[in-house]
Amino acid sequence: MESLDEDARLMVRYRDGDAGAFSTLYARHKGPLYRYLLRQVRNAGAAADLFQEVWSRLVATRARYEARAKFATYLFHIAHNCTMDFFRRDLKMPHAARSDDADVVSTEPEVPEYQRPDRVAEFAEQQSALLAALGALPQEQREAFLLHEETGLTIEEIARVTDVGLETAKSRLRYAIRKLKKSLLPVQIPAAQPLRTRTI
Amino acid sequence: MDPPDDLDDYLRGDSALSRQYRRESAPPPPHALDRRVLGFSREAQGTAQRLTPCLAPLAFAASVLLSVALVLAIAFGPQTAKRVDDAPRLVRVAAHAGASPTTPLNRKLQLYSSDPKLARAPPVWLADIAALRRARRNSEADAELRRFRSTYPDYSTGELAIRP
Repeated sequence: MESLDEDARLMVRYRDGDAGAFSTLYARHKGPLYRYLLRQVRNAGAAADLFQEVWSRLVATRARYEARAKFATYLFHIAHNCTMDFFRRDLKMPHAARSDDADVVSTEPEVPEYQRPDRVAEFAEQQSALLAALGALPQEQREAFLLHEETGLTIEEIARVTDVGLETAKSRLRYAIRKLKKSLLPVQIPAAQPLRTRTI
Repeated sequence: MDPPDDLDDYLRGDSALSRQYRRESAPPPPHALDRRVLGFSREAQGTAQRLTPCLAPLAFAASVLLSVALVLAIAFGPQTAKRVDDAPRLVRVAAHAGASPTTPLNRKLQLYSSDPKLARAPPVWLADIAALRRARRNSEADAELRRFRSTYPDYSTGELAIRP
């Protein structure tokens, strides 16, 4: 049997009543989890709400925790579920608003809040080319990349966290890195170009 | 065809892409969030610890009371009348649950109990949610999904979670 990772042991201690173990776990995972959520939903307010929701679900269900796998897969599976719920709620919102005043014909397309151009532009202004390219990726590819970068999860673990097959997870990550690498190219190409010499 | 080395190179670690990503500024969660999360985790743990010593004598007293009541009921209770009472009560439960009287009692308990030990098994529960979605009862399906998530927070729900 696979031995428990240290975080799983801490979670077991927290489940059994050691409040200090939670502080250590929180300190280790708060940064990766927050960045994962922020870069997934691309909205600081929503990310903060989801961040609290993930930890509160972890706390509420601690009594049923069993250390079967790496703790990060457990935590980020909760985060993935919360994020999916957020996207589902967000997609439903424009529809609900329209049904309230059915007489008004909206000229704007149905775009979820997190994809609205003004919000995206506002977010993009504050980030580099790489983060902008990351934001432009399809959500599933972005998630695969973030899970690997922020938590070091393997492809198998990413597949488990996102509820997909191994090959799907692999192909999402492959597409993500290919697109992100391209976003780095324009920065590198000018440096590699040879100087032109004038002939007289 | 996909170039074979793209993903392998990246997974080996320390790729240019990973280095660049790690150089990006990494916003930490606001301190207010830290305080809130650590606060409710301590509160949850504290509540559990505070309740335990209080509940011990209470549990003892309750078990003594129940034992005495049980002995009295066996010694003096009207056993035949009790048998007659039981039948309509079961019928009323079935009617309230909206289930047919032939539905097994276990199924009714699983559907309507708030006790996690009695909750439906995840595949059964997800099948119920899927049935609600097929019947276009989306708000009920959403409510069920929320209850499901609070009972099984890390269980894979697949496409069901995103498809309204």
